Order: sequence, then C-alpha cells, then structure tokens
Amino acid sequence: MKIVVALRVNEAAARLSLDGPETLLDALRDQMGLEGTKKGCDQGACGACTVLLDGKRVLSCLTLAAQCDGHEVTTVEGLAPDGGVHPVQAAFIRHDAFQCGYCTPGQIMSAVALLDEGRAGSDEEIREFMSGNLCRCAAYPNIVAAIRDVAGEVASHGADSGV
Amino acid sequence: MTETKPAPTLLGAGVDRVDGLSKVRGEAPFPSDVTYPRLAHAALVRSTIAAGRISRITTRAAEEAPGVLAVITHQNMPRLERGPATLIGPSPVSPLQDDQVFHHGQYVAVVVAESLQQASAAAELVDVEYEVAAGVFDLDDPRGELRVDPWGSGARRGDVEGALASAEVTFEASYSTAANTNNPIGLFTTVAAWEGDTLTLHDSTQWTANVRTTIAALFGLPEESVRVHAPFLGGGFGAGLRVWPHAVIAAVAAQVTGRPVKLELTRPQMFTGIGYRPATEQTVRLGALRTGQLVALQHHATIAIGIVDENPEPVTLISQSAYACPNVDVRDDERRLNIPPPGPLRAPGAAQGTFALESALDELSYKLGMDPLELRLRNYAEVDAHSGLPWSSNALRDCYAVGAERFGWAQRNPEVGSMREDSWQIGYGVASLSYHWWQVRCEARATIGRDGTAFVRSAANDIGTGTRTVMTQLSAELLGLGLSDVRFDLGDSTMPWSPAAGGSGLTTSLGVAVDDACRSLRGKFLELAVQGPGSPLAGCSSDDVVVSGGRLHRKDDPGVGESYAEVLARHGLDELSADGLGAPPDPAQTGLALSPPFAAKFAEVRIDADLGILRVARLLTVVDAGRILNEKLARSQIVGGTIGGIGQALFEETSFDPGTGRIANATFGDYLIPVSADVGDVDVAFVGQPDPLTPVGTKGVGELGLPGTAAAIANAVYHATGRRLRSLPIAIEQLY
Amino acid sequence: MAPTPGFEYVRPSSVEDAVATVSGDPTAAYLAGGTTQLDLVLKDRVISPQRLVDITRLPLRGVTRTSDGLQVAAMTTMEELAADPTVTRELPLVREALLSGASTQLRNMATIGGNLLQRTRCRYFRDPTVAACNKRDPGSGCAAVTGHARMHAILGASEHCIASHASDLCVALVALDAVAHLQSMGGLSHVPLTEFYRVPGDRPDRETVLEHGELVTAIGIPLLPPGTRSSYLKVRDRASYEFALTSAAAALVVEHDVIRFARLALGGVGTVPWRAYEAEGILVGAPVSEGAFRAAAEAAVNDPFTVSGTEFKVELAKRTVVRVLQTVARNAS
Repeated sequence: MKIVVALRVNEAAARLSLDGPETLLDALRDQMGLEGTKKGCDQGACGACTVLLDGKRVLSCLTLAAQCDGHEVTTVEGLAPDGGVHPVQAAFIRHDAFQCGYCTPGQIMSAVALLDEGRAGSDEEIREFMSGNLCRCAAYPNIVAAIRDVAGEVASHGADSGV
Repeated sequence: MTETKPAPTLLGAGVDRVDGLSKVRGEAPFPSDVTYPRLAHAALVRSTIAAGRISRITTRAAEEAPGVLAVITHQNMPRLERGPATLIGPSPVSPLQDDQVFHHGQYVAVVVAESLQQASAAAELVDVEYEVAAGVFDLDDPRGELRVDPWGSGARRGDVEGALASAEVTFEASYSTAANTNNPIGLFTTVAAWEGDTLTLHDSTQWTANVRTTIAALFGLPEESVRVHAPFLGGGFGAGLRVWPHAVIAAVAAQVTGRPVKLELTRPQMFTGIGYRPATEQTVRLGALRTGQLVALQHHATIAIGIVDENPEPVTLISQSAYACPNVDVRDDERRLNIPPPGPLRAPGAAQGTFALESALDELSYKLGMDPLELRLRNYAEVDAHSGLPWSSNALRDCYAVGAERFGWAQRNPEVGSMREDSWQIGYGVASLSYHWWQVRCEARATIGRDGTAFVRSAANDIGTGTRTVMTQLSAELLGLGLSDVRFDLGDSTMPWSPAAGGSGLTTSLGVAVDDACRSLRGKFLELAVQGPGSPLAGCSSDDVVVSGGRLHRKDDPGVGESYAEVLARHGLDELSADGLGAPPDPAQTGLALSPPFAAKFAEVRIDADLGILRVARLLTVVDAGRILNEKLARSQIVGGTIGGIGQALFEETSFDPGTGRIANATFGDYLIPVSADVGDVDVAFVGQPDPLTPVGTKGVGELGLPGTAAAIANAVYHATGRRLRSLPIAIEQLY
Repeated sequence: MAPTPGFEYVRPSSVEDAVATVSGDPTAAYLAGGTTQLDLVLKDRVISPQRLVDITRLPLRGVTRTSDGLQVAAMTTMEELAADPTVTRELPLVREALLSGASTQLRNMATIGGNLLQRTRCRYFRDPTVAACNKRDPGSGCAAVTGHARMHAILGASEHCIASHASDLCVALVALDAVAHLQSMGGLSHVPLTEFYRVPGDRPDRETVLEHGELVTAIGIPLLPPGTRSSYLKVRDRASYEFALTSAAAALVVEHDVIRFARLALGGVGTVPWRAYEAEGILVGAPVSEGAFRAAAEAAVNDPFTVSGTEFKVELAKRTVVRVLQTVARNAS
C-alpha cells in the first residue's frame, strides 16, 4: 500500500507516493530530480546528504521520506532561486572552498545552518560544528575561511544597520 | 593613439574556478547523477571468504524476486580477456570469470533490476556456498609469495655494504605503514548504455581515454564504438586510474539486459573494489661521516599486493636521487596476500617511502647531534645522482630557507622534550620530499569561431584539481583573449587523447599540448591576417603582429589590426582550428635531468602525554613546482594533500580481520579520515622558477601535498616527547 | 541475513496506540529520530522489523523544569536538550556529553529516548556476514574478541561480548541517577538508568530491561546539589565526530578542599554506561588530591576484561577519570 505524503520542498508544494522505506535522500534524487543533494555513505556518517528540515540541518539518508509529511525541506537547489547565488555559495567560490565539488552541497547546507545557529563565532567553533561534513579533498581551511567571511559580512551588516 | 599597457598576466593569479558556480549550486553532473529513460540498476554480491572457490551458487530466488531483470555470475558471464596494460601498469583481472576467490569482497554476482531497492534486495537472495581455503593476510607471512623486485625498479650505485662498513656513523631501522583507503566522498558509479554495437559509459574515472581503450579491447569493439563521458568526478585520489571490475560488469549488465544500467558502489564496496594504498614494511640503513655527509643509503620495502592483480607502487624510488650519496641501494619487493587489489592513492609509493626515509634522516640527525634541517642541507643533491645530469630546475634549498624563516624553525629548542605550553608538550619536525617528473604524450585541439571566442579541449579529466580552470587561463593567455572568451572542455573520449589526471603529470602533459595547439592556431590566424584584400595588416610579417584583447594588431601600432572574428569573416570562414601535441623532453637531447617538484614540510605538534592526545597545530609546505599557473588552486591542492597526510599519520588504517580477511572498518564511522576540527594552521608557500624544459614551465603540484607530512609529524612527536614512532598510523596508545 | 527491508510505515495517533501497536506485533519496532534504527534496518541490515511505528509526531517533545529536576520528553532532540537553559547553567556534564556526540545534523535528528537505546557500534555486530555475534545470534560466539577490538569495552565485558555502549549522553545520565519513564500495556513505570541496562553476561542480546512494546516516554534528570561542578571528558583519536575511546562524566561538591559529594561514570569502556559507585565512595570525604583521584580511578576501572587491542584502555580510562576529576575540582575550588 502506497503512502502519499505532502511536503514543501524549496518553497514549493510536493507530493510523494511511497512504499515506506524510501529515504528522503533517494526521494529527492530519484523522484524529484533534485540531484544536488549527494550520497556519500548512505549511512549517516559523511554529511554529503545534508539538507534543511524545517530550517534545521539533518541527514537525508537517515530520514524516511514518509517522516517528512507536512514538513519543509530545503536543498541546495532552493538556496538561491532564480539563478541567484547565496552568500555562502559566493564565499565558497571566492575562498576556493572545494575541489571535486561532491561534498560541496552538503557543506554549504551545513554552513548555512551553522550561521543560523550562531556558531560561527570563531574558527575553532566553525571547525567543531562543521566536523560532521567530511571532505576528502580536504578543503577544510578554505571552508572555514568562507564561513568566517560570511559571518563577518552578517556581523558588519548588522552593526551598520544598528541591529 | 594612446599606448596600451601590457595586459596583466592571467597566469599565476588566483583566478576562481571556472566550474565553481556549477559545483556550489549542485549542478555539476557526477556519474551518479546521470539518468536515462528505462534505466535499470545493478547491485553487486561480494564474496564473504578471502580464499577458496565457489562450490555452488544458487540464483533462482533472486531471479524470481520482484523487478529483477538478470542475475549474472561466473556461470553465465561472457568470457573476457584481461584488459590491456596501460602506461601506468597492468589492468585489473576481469570479473566473474571463474569460481576462484582471492579476497573477501570479491564480486561473485550482480543483480540487475528495475530499481536499486529491488536489485539490492534480490542481491541478498543470491545463495553462495564456498570451499574455504586458508588465506594469507600478513606482510610477514612466509606462506605468501614474495616477489623480489618484480618491476625491475631496484637500483644500485656504488658499494653500499662497503660504505656502511667504513662509515663513521651508521643507522638502521624498520618502518611500517598501514593500508589506507582512498575514500573519495563520491561513490564510484558507472552508467552503461548500448545502442546497437556502440556503448556509452558515464564513469567515475581519472582517465577517460583509458576507459575507452580498455572497454573496447574487452568487448572486441573498435575504439570509436565506445564513448566515455567523465566531466566530473567526486574525488578519486588515484582510485580512478584503472578500469575496475564494476565498470566492466556495468557494461555487461547493460548488454545482457538490453537496458541502460547504473551501477553505483556502496561505501563498503568502495573499500574493496577500487584499490587502496597497500601496507608496507621498510628498512632503511644509512651511513654517514661525522660532518653529516651521507656515504651509504639503503632502502628496501616489502609491499602488500593481491593474489592475482598487479600494482606498481614505487616506494623506494624517492631514495634514488633524494640526497647526494655515492652508494645507494633501493628495492621494492611484494608479498602476495588474500587482500583486495591495492591501487594508487595520493603520491603512491612516495607516501610510504618518504615516511621511512625522512624518519631515518631525522633519527640520524639526533645521532649526529645535528639540526635535522642542516643534515638535509649538507646532503643537498647538486645534480641528479641517478642519471648524473644537472637538474632542469631545483629550488629545494629555497624551500628549506623560506620554510625555516616562515615557520620559525630558529625558535626550536634542539633538546628533546624541552618545549612546553601548559600541559602540552610541543615538538617541531621537518621532512624533505619530491615526486618524480611524470609527463607523457598528450593531445589537444583549439578552435576560434565567428564570434571570436575560443573552444579548447582534450579528453583529459578535472578531478577537482582545477584542470579546466588552469587550461582556460593558459589558453586565454596564449590566444590573447579574456577568460570569459575561452571555454576549455574535457572528460569526453571523442576529444583528443590525454593521459590520466594523476601522478602530478597532467598539467605539464596537457599544458604543453594546449600550448602547442594555441600557438599553432594563433600562427594560422597571423598568416590569414596579413593576407587577402582589405587586410589592415597587409605587408606585415608575423613578427610585426601580436595578439591581445582578441585582436591581432601591429606591435608598434596597436590601433592597426583586426579581431579574430574579422579575420574569419574576411576570409569567409566559420572557424579555424589547430591541433596540439605535447611530448616529454628527452634528457639525452637537453642534457638536463627531468627535475621533480620538490618541497620541504614543517610540522608543529602538541601532545597531551597524559592522555595521548596529539594535535597538529601547524603544518607548512614550501613547494618548488616550477611555474604555478594558479596559486589559489595550487595552494588548495597542497593544503588538501597535507591534510590527507594528517590522516595517514594519525588516523587511517584499513584493518583486515585475522583469519577471514574481511575489512573490519569499511564505513566512514569506523575508518577515520580527518575532519575540520583536526586541522590547525596549514600554510603553503611557493618558491622556484619556471622549469625550462617545457614552454609551460610547470612540474606538477598535486602529489607534493601528502608525502612527508607523516614524517614531519612523527619527527615532531620525537622532538616533543622522545618517543620514536616508526609505524603508521600513530595512535593514542603509542603516545600516552 | 535479514530479509528485504519491505517494512510497513505507520503513524500511531497516540502514545497508547503506539504501545498497543508494537506490543501486539512481535515484528514491529518504534522509529524515532532514525539515526540508529534506520541505519540498522536499511543500511547495515542487521534487524528487520516488518512494521516501523513512527513516534516522532506523538506529543513527547520538550523539556520541563520541575521542583527537583528536569523532565525530558523522549522525542526531544539532542540539540534541543543541549540548548535548554537549565542544562546549560546547571548540568554542564550533560551539555558537554551531548555536544561531544555525533554531528549537529545527527543531533538535530536523534532523540533523547533513542539515545538511551542507541545500539553498539561494534562492526562485528553491524555486519551480518560475520557469523559469530552473540548479540545478533545468541550462542554463535563473538568475533570481536579475536578481531579488531580497539573501540570495544573492558568493563562488563566477557568472552561472550565486548561491544561497548556508544552513547556519551547516557554516561552523564547514569552519573546523575536519571530515571526512564516507561509506558507499557500495563501502565506507566519508572526505572533508574543505572538499572535500565543489562550487563551482557551470557545473553548479550538482552540489552535493557525493556519488554517488547514498552516505550520510553521521558527521562527524569535530577538536579545536582547547589555548588556542584561537573564536566564530561571524551578521549578519541579525531578532535571531533568520533565515538569515545574512553570518557568520563564527573560531578563534585568541594568544600575547603574536601570532597563532599561525588558522581562518576565512564564511557567508551563499558558494555553499558558505567557508573563508578565505589570510586564515588572513595572520593566523598577525601581531600582534593592526586592520590584520591588516582585511587578513585583504580576503583572505577576494577577487574577489566581485555583482549588484544583493548589493553591500553585500562590505563587510559584511569587517566581520563583523573583528568576529569582534576578539571572539575579546579572549577569547584
């Protein structure tokens, strides 16, 4: 018996017809054509499949698609709609924060969440709270630099506007 | 008319990656992202024994499972020869050819089904019975066949034994390095689609052209009938240098089912099916004068290898020419074990060999009471001791000097265990390294069309190192175009032939071909520009004309000239193309040794000796890689390799179960690679000059990151604690 | 080998409905955050429930401060508990244990109830191609005792099983005498966490006192006496994102350099989260001193069972205890 779930993906309504065991990762990639979210281990250990669920970063490979009924999912494709570039994406390019690019969508989703969590206060803090995203090319220092850069922009923008 | 300023060079500058936007948006198509209408999925069944034979294999339940299209075992697999030998060694043995099992995890069947879930479920229904034989898993197990110098790579000069006997100081020690698994984050995937007798493959490879050649040979097809797409690879680090069995199986599965088939390895399969750095045991013997001058250097290695596969792994090669030493003896032996076939991983051979050689040098320095950096300087090789020829370029002394200054080597208290901060013991370590020159024949093609933009291509691969970007820069510079007016494309086997992206060899190999193609194309345009009615450059010789900003103009009067587009229009041409060929220089002609890239590596470690906690606070690599085409990207490569070296030094060990040969830690939860929190200050500096042997001036960057990192760290651990650790990885239990 | 993962996914309407559904079906299992259960069901294929009962939508979320402690509903996530003001201010050992575990992504998913029932990371348990595993298949033996056992337990271990309990949080919780609130068909009951886990003995398959269908609905965490200082120390190879080789949670009240109150538990070394009562007894009344800490450590790591690869943990665990006590005592003085 199929389970039909209704969720929002990248601010658009989506319906999925599921057998039950499908993970959110497979549903995104295979059913919805959102291949930006990557499978690196399929076991909750590498972070390549990181997406935002109701604004919080989670691993889509250990989330059942059926559990997302009524929830909001954001993938890398939804960060900057209409051909734009999210500040974190721009900073990743500027700081060369990737090489092969495979873990990059997961790194970026994690970085966006980390900034939102207020955990970009120092390099040490960024390193600790980005450690769930493996990068075998080991672009880590540049990833930290990119996040620090965006955190600085946010901070200075906040100061300028008196926030 | 104002004098135009010379355009700033496009090279060397930290240009952002030309494919960066596609990667940060998740749009770059990796092989696992490729889909086809009616795509079927394959799941592999792997052996659960390491040695023996399949006595019975029952596939009926799998065949009858929902969605299953085919089950292929050695009983119904087409017979295939072994793939042809390549420039970098023999091909793997073809899969599913008989009932023999040589390692745990060997493929014994594949199931093809409508969905991956169905294929995976049915794969569990394939029932395999085995006749188990005793496996051999340890490098020192004499039951495993020992192959002495199987590649003839051993080298001797002088009289090592005599020199050791008469040396004022001698030193001897054994070192071991664990097996390490490549573990790119991207799961290796092959998508195979037949159309009649032509086959299209989307493959996780570092060598598009070799996939075509190998698959064509295996299937008895002309090379034109195999098309390979590999525009992006989710990391390889050497794993993509061979055509591994899963790629062959995918092609067979697609042929048998008449459907396009995707075969994506699982993470555990990534440990057994695409090679990995083999374990080694090494012995180094050194003889020296009290002055520190080396008089004897012997470096022997025993390297793990599978039962049937081959893997040239030049562990002791670096010791041939690393130092000025008259008496040298190096040799690589192999021991055949019931382990998955090893393969290249980041600086194959040098990764292990540098640990032993540079640890031994460090040990000798303490025995001599000499600064370890000074010992290396005193043995600086003025010429390539192996060939006797002068180096084409060598800035290793600058690496040492710049490194010492930048790192603050002078602050190092030479006394062991003397540096502390709070509860941390601090140590400094240094290592020297190089990676042999690797350049092979390569082709490229350049075209400029009516819109005045250039299209340059080669079947090469960009594995994240930045090949697309630096070749775009190089082409733009040579053609006098802006970066946005040049498109460099690669990863398609219909493009001109290129060697692999690996071994620090592609940038020079391809760069020389691109240089040739672009110069040739520019020459063709210059010829046309001075010809024909209406040529503003009529009567000029090609020496009078230069190219900049997409225009060919008089050198002495930039206002006089015309654009590429105008030249083509005037001659009624749609486009103009030129082929380029690059070939390695011949030392017999140039009288110069092909200089490897060199580097010096400095490490600061902090150790909480009570709990055995080791943190690598700082790592500095100073690199002479000849001309640096893009410092930003080159730096990223060195940083990445260096962090890979932290993994080799401290965490990474592929563990085989005693008795069964099963890999005990084949997941990312159990096989530890460095995470962000493990990485302190990783600094890089570049020194040296363009190498004169090629017009491009590069010597290769990528392999300079990892080797020497483990040695520098181990040397720093000794300096901090007095503990000499000769076995990698260095774990907490060795430190507390 | 587990059959195909063709389970049915169901959403109960209430806690009672959930308990009735699972209690009435031996092939059913609860699904919370998924970080343990889905890994074992879908990926490692170690267990094969035919029905997964999703309890994440039940009203079992949130942290409530009561007169004597915190009541943590079982579906509260690790990140949520770590951010709780009481945990932040008064229970640093809980906060530190939470944040040293897993990654932020996993902590956003993993629930406190699920964390209590987190399964071991033993790769011999998690790979169904390994025949010998008493936890998976009682009586089949233990491949880990002759395998690569570096991550394995030395306390509560035997030749039957050396699988370690992987949770960091539970180490802090057993030190605090936390209590599991359980709902079964028979009603509500309470079990102290120190009695919740079974030391494996010759039945490593029986990990807790839970009966099939019994649901952890909440965890009660008593507060510490005023003036208590506490900390959690985790020793591992990587600087982050790794299970513990050894860990220790400690809480002390120190007055005039004399220890008045002590709690101590160990992780990474036990088949269950390991409360060190005897060590606490040594500490209480003792002066803050290296000698007392070392004596407590010796008592805490009493009668270890080691195999090739785990011997080093005996001394490392003791030093971990000493270090965490030093840290806490320094803050407490």
